[in-house]
Amino acid sequence: MKSLIMIIVSTALVNNVVLSQFLGICSFLGVSQQKKASLSLGLAVTAVLTVSSAVAAALYQFVLAPLGLDYLKTIVFILVIAALVQMVEMFLKKNVHAVYQSLGIYLPLITTNCAVLGVALTNVQNEYTILESVFAGLGTAIGYTVAIVLLAEIREHIDEEAIPAPFRGAPIVLLCATLMAMAFMGFSGLS
Amino acid sequence: MKAYWERIYNGVVKENPAFILMLGMCPTLAVTTSAINGLGMGLSSLVVLAISNVVISLLRKVIPDEVRLPAYIVIVASFVTVVELLMEAYMESLYAALGIYIPLIVVNCIILGRAEAYASKNPPLLSLFDGLGMGLGFTVALVIVGSIRELLGAGSIFGIALPGNFEPIAFFVRAPGAFLVLAIVVAIMNAVGIKSRANKVVEGCDGCCANCASSGCDKKEAEV
Amino acid sequence: MQTVIISTLVIALVGLVLGLALVTASKKFYVEVDDRVTRVRECLRGSNCGACGYAGCDAVAEAIVKGEARVDACPGNSTENIAKIAAILGKEAIDQDPQCAYVQCAGTCEATKAKAQYVGIDDCRAAVLSGLSFMSCEYGCLGLGSCVKVCPQGAISIKDGIAVVNPRLCVGCGLCAKTCPKGIIGMHDRTTKVAVRCSNKNKGPMVKKVCTAGCIGCGICVKQCEQGAITLENNLSRVDPEKCVGCGKCVEKCPTKSIRFL
Repeated sequence: MKSLIMIIVSTALVNNVVLSQFLGICSFLGVSQQKKASLSLGLAVTAVLTVSSAVAAALYQFVLAPLGLDYLKTIVFILVIAALVQMVEMFLKKNVHAVYQSLGIYLPLITTNCAVLGVALTNVQNEYTILESVFAGLGTAIGYTVAIVLLAEIREHIDEEAIPAPFRGAPIVLLCATLMAMAFMGFSGLS
Repeated sequence: MKAYWERIYNGVVKENPAFILMLGMCPTLAVTTSAINGLGMGLSSLVVLAISNVVISLLRKVIPDEVRLPAYIVIVASFVTVVELLMEAYMESLYAALGIYIPLIVVNCIILGRAEAYASKNPPLLSLFDGLGMGLGFTVALVIVGSIRELLGAGSIFGIALPGNFEPIAFFVRAPGAFLVLAIVVAIMNAVGIKSRANKVVEGCDGCCANCASSGCDKKEAEV
Repeated sequence: MQTVIISTLVIALVGLVLGLALVTASKKFYVEVDDRVTRVRECLRGSNCGACGYAGCDAVAEAIVKGEARVDACPGNSTENIAKIAAILGKEAIDQDPQCAYVQCAGTCEATKAKAQYVGIDDCRAAVLSGLSFMSCEYGCLGLGSCVKVCPQGAISIKDGIAVVNPRLCVGCGLCAKTCPKGIIGMHDRTTKVAVRCSNKNKGPMVKKVCTAGCIGCGICVKQCEQGAITLENNLSRVDPEKCVGCGKCVEKCPTKSIRFL
């Protein structure tokens, strides 16, 4: 149990997926313009990450590893992720239509989110069991949501400041990410 | 012939994927701890981009529209696996340095984005040059960022140590340094007048998905 | 050879299983989408500006099909698109009166001057909250660009310190008029030819002190107009678009050049 908690803490804070591992940056910079969309996206990513980590780990353990087909993991994982995102989209459209509408195009975007494939591959690299993979996926998603919501909050306040012309737009957001990354480096003592 | 060079010029200068289109951020920040790593990642992406552009362009009339995206993903994933295996066999140190970011070339926004935006609509030779141009532009961007970070963070460039008593600032090879260097580079480009696409207000589109043409995104008109 | 066969089989199998799962999911989570909603949606601009009051073009398309919104619910939608929407629903087309925005102020940096320097959020609505007017004319355009930010077509921009509408890009959605805290953006229909570019309701001498391009209520235009289309109200000229024929005599004779062609 303790090791599972440690996995969550380390993936969420110590090796934060966005600020430390540089996965999921494109959506991190793009979606964080609106706080509500950020939270919705964070929740959707949590759902996809946890399930895909489990399915990918299971597939690797029961199909790919015994047959010695380690090199097929990239293709198989990305197929699983694409199918899962499609299913989550269909599920949301039918059952929780409001969330589906608020997410809009960001839902299919999760397929190309480096974080999802990255976590599935790191789980294999770290030789986690299926349960540990699920917790790693959950921790990663928590870290991603925290980072993206924090940045969205900061970006709301940036609009009110007088920013020098060359820095408007992407550079100032990247500078905020720099400071956030520095802050998160403080968590490295936890590992 | 001119059309082909125009594609190269477009990819390197006019629509540089890392600086102008703001795509492929993950590798730009992650692997540029040194210029060589940046070069290696850039060249691997270039190879995958060029080949998959050609293949997708050859198959563009055969792939049905509904399964467009999964088909592209599988094609790109196959080539990435091949490149990964080749690197593991023949370029071990680069493979170890780039680590997990090699298989992540699959979900590099640039590759799927170009497949969707260009290769699926244009003949193979043009798509090849488009892939080469974009890949070259990406490599140039990675080498620039990598050189700056290596210079300031490790006091060397391409592995050759600088003369003199330069005390490197390790901050630049760590995570925050990546964000900082990219921020300054884009700011300098803005100041000089090269506008990045990310500064344009396009509602809800950061151009990072391959969804423009499908019903997933109707904001493409707003981009024009 | 054996590896090739096994790997091909594994991938094929995984693909098959996933494909079957997707097909089952698509049947189980099948959402009845009214085909008309998609067709109506295609007749809309797609800029999701919210001028209709609904949460985006998809939402208003649904409302139109359900009958909760009129076929011309999208402000500034072209006549042919509205006719198409009406045809899809089997309803009668509503005659559209296409509008265009115009800024009722000609107080550029040369015509007026600032009383004080404004330091604060770059937004007219925020500036107005202070209760003080930092431009010499208290009715005029502040030039901080709230209207620019809100226009979904990019038809309005700040030139020489005041907002200017590009009539070719403007679709008449009215968001700028709703946003302007001074209330000086008006909407006119496409037949209107001239309008007064001033909102200052003070008497002539006071207007002259604060702006060289303002309407001083002298009444020359009223006398010049042979159609009797112009009247004076609140020390400002008002042009009746139905009577105006666009001869341009008022524009020629206006001493401050504040009445202009649109």
